Amino acid sequence: MLPCARFFIDECGVLVAFRGVILGLISAVAASVAHAEVAIVLNSGDGTVSLIDKATMTETKRIPVGKEPHHLMATPDDKFLIVANAASNDLVFLDRVTGEIQRRLDKISDPYQLGFSPDRKYFVSVSLRLDRVDFYNGADFSLLKRLAAPKAPSHVAFNADSSLAFVTLQDSNELAAFELKTQTLKWKMPVGQMPAGVWVTPDDKYVLVGMTGEDYVEVIDWRTQKSVKKITTGKGAHNFLAVGDGKRVYVSNRVSNTVNVIDQDTLAVVDTIPVPGGPDCMEATKDGKQLWVTSRWARKVTVVDLATKKIIKQIPVGKSPHGIYFASHAARK
Amino acid sequence: MFEFISQLFAQFHAHVFEGTVLPLLHQAGFGGYAEQAFDATELFLIGAIEVTLLALILGALEKWRPVEPQDEEAKRVDVLYTLLNRLGLLPLMMFFLLMPLVDGLDGWLRMHDIIPAKIEDVFPALHQWPVVSFLFYLVVLDFVAYWLHRGQHRFDWWWALHALHHSQRQMGFWADDRNHLLDDLIVDGVFALVALAIGVPPAQFITILVAGRVVESLSHANLKWHFGRIGERIMVSPRYHRMHHAIGFGHEGRARGCNFAVLFPVWDHLFGTANSMIEYPKTGIRDQLEGRAYGEGFWEQQGLGLVRLIQSLRPGKRMHP
Repeated sequence: MLPCARFFIDECGVLVAFRGVILGLISAVAASVAHAEVAIVLNSGDGTVSLIDKATMTETKRIPVGKEPHHLMATPDDKFLIVANAASNDLVFLDRVTGEIQRRLDKISDPYQLGFSPDRKYFVSVSLRLDRVDFYNGADFSLLKRLAAPKAPSHVAFNADSSLAFVTLQDSNELAAFELKTQTLKWKMPVGQMPAGVWVTPDDKYVLVGMTGEDYVEVIDWRTQKSVKKITTGKGAHNFLAVGDGKRVYVSNRVSNTVNVIDQDTLAVVDTIPVPGGPDCMEATKDGKQLWVTSRWARKVTVVDLATKKIIKQIPVGKSPHGIYFASHAARK
Repeated sequence: MFEFISQLFAQFHAHVFEGTVLPLLHQAGFGGYAEQAFDATELFLIGAIEVTLLALILGALEKWRPVEPQDEEAKRVDVLYTLLNRLGLLPLMMFFLLMPLVDGLDGWLRMHDIIPAKIEDVFPALHQWPVVSFLFYLVVLDFVAYWLHRGQHRFDWWWALHALHHSQRQMGFWADDRNHLLDDLIVDGVFALVALAIGVPPAQFITILVAGRVVESLSHANLKWHFGRIGERIMVSPRYHRMHHAIGFGHEGRARGCNFAVLFPVWDHLFGTANSMIEYPKTGIRDQLEGRAYGEGFWEQQGLGLVRLIQSLRPGKRMHP
């Protein structure tokens, strides 16, 4: 064998071995990327979903999803994440870990905000623009009933036994309760100006309503339909997020650029976190260390360290970011 | 680059909104209209940037290659129309007048289990290609604009309103928005209905609106410029649209005019209304030569339009020059 040939073989051997190491590294990285968890953000203004690598806090991908995606929620079996495209009249099911589109369900009229009843029997979609509340069969999404609900039904929540759906009527300053079994309006009551987010306390006693036109959360005893308290918050109280301990619930204040922490036992604000840019929807990490918030006006997602209340990072995303989700979130209680 | 500009604009938009608009809104008790106000602020800022750029760029081009020397005084009212329109006052007025009607109709349809179709129902792949669906909407709306424009010239009552737009005898880029408010309302109303029928999302509607406005400002410019043999068939040029405003061409003949297209000349070529002569004739309405007035100031023009609309509805009255 010629010396140069021997050298070639050796070199090739080295190369092959080296290539093996490289390939191993690549596949390891690819595997980690494949399982890397993303934060999923709905950019309602440009019809896209931003996928943010949670570890590096950078947007890795922006994919078209439909027209005006505002809100999202996981399916009760936690298999998929449902994105409601209001202007596309459809629901898109995403892989809730990777954010990849799995399937699309058409002919869902103007879905703005969504909710499954706790017993999973009913899927409720509220249509803010068209003043409608639609009731679907929770198992197969077949339409059960469509009700007129003026004006501007905004958010939805349920009582513990799944008998009622509470819907805020943003433009008529009311809270409505719909009986799920019959899909009829049970009652309506006046509340403050521009009610938006709605939340039922873990003890099933009260409904909390965020007054986006004012600076408080109204506490409603839903059994007696009485307003029992106004919890003063920042201006523009908008949406709620529970952070898993069954005690605290967060409320975003879009005008004052803060998030308030409300103790659900005492029904009082116990802490205030500054979040710039019009804080809207929120998601908390499972370990309770970080709060991720869509900063609606600033086209950013703001990540806050909850221990220090300092901003870790503001991540640029698409236009008018609204709903936000990640799989390893704090429990919704 | 686009993302950089977009983020830069987003910061500016957020700064103006959070610093000025939102506190005022909340103080006035309208805090719940934040999202609408956010969009309106965007429309205003885009309009302000657009008008500034148009004034700088088209103003310079008009100085460079003007068709004719112009009297600045004659343009003053057109500047007012442009500011009212591009800074969002008129679009907002239309929005508040038309959107409840459109939403009411849409809501009624839903209660009857009718969900308006959209292009993606036919071509599901377009869900992933919003640029293509945007182009589709642009073409459809331009096609509608062509036929609305034909109607504005065809029907005497409509011409009574639309004549105001043609009454500027010194064409320039400011002249594009010189319209009767009722004419604007009719045209915008039809657009809103068509947009609903084909499923144009509001965000894309604004982009279509701005794209159309830029091309229309250019096409009205006092600018000796045509886009060449092929270009003239692709996009409406200053030469192309000047023929539409020209005395002796723009309001005459079987179709009562020529070159009706707003963005894409293809419609004129398809329907036999194209005039491809490379000329830059005098503009205005023929009867202006005989002394007929269309008003000097804003209110006079609007008032005269209404008077002539009523006159046109009388039996036997023919308004068209």
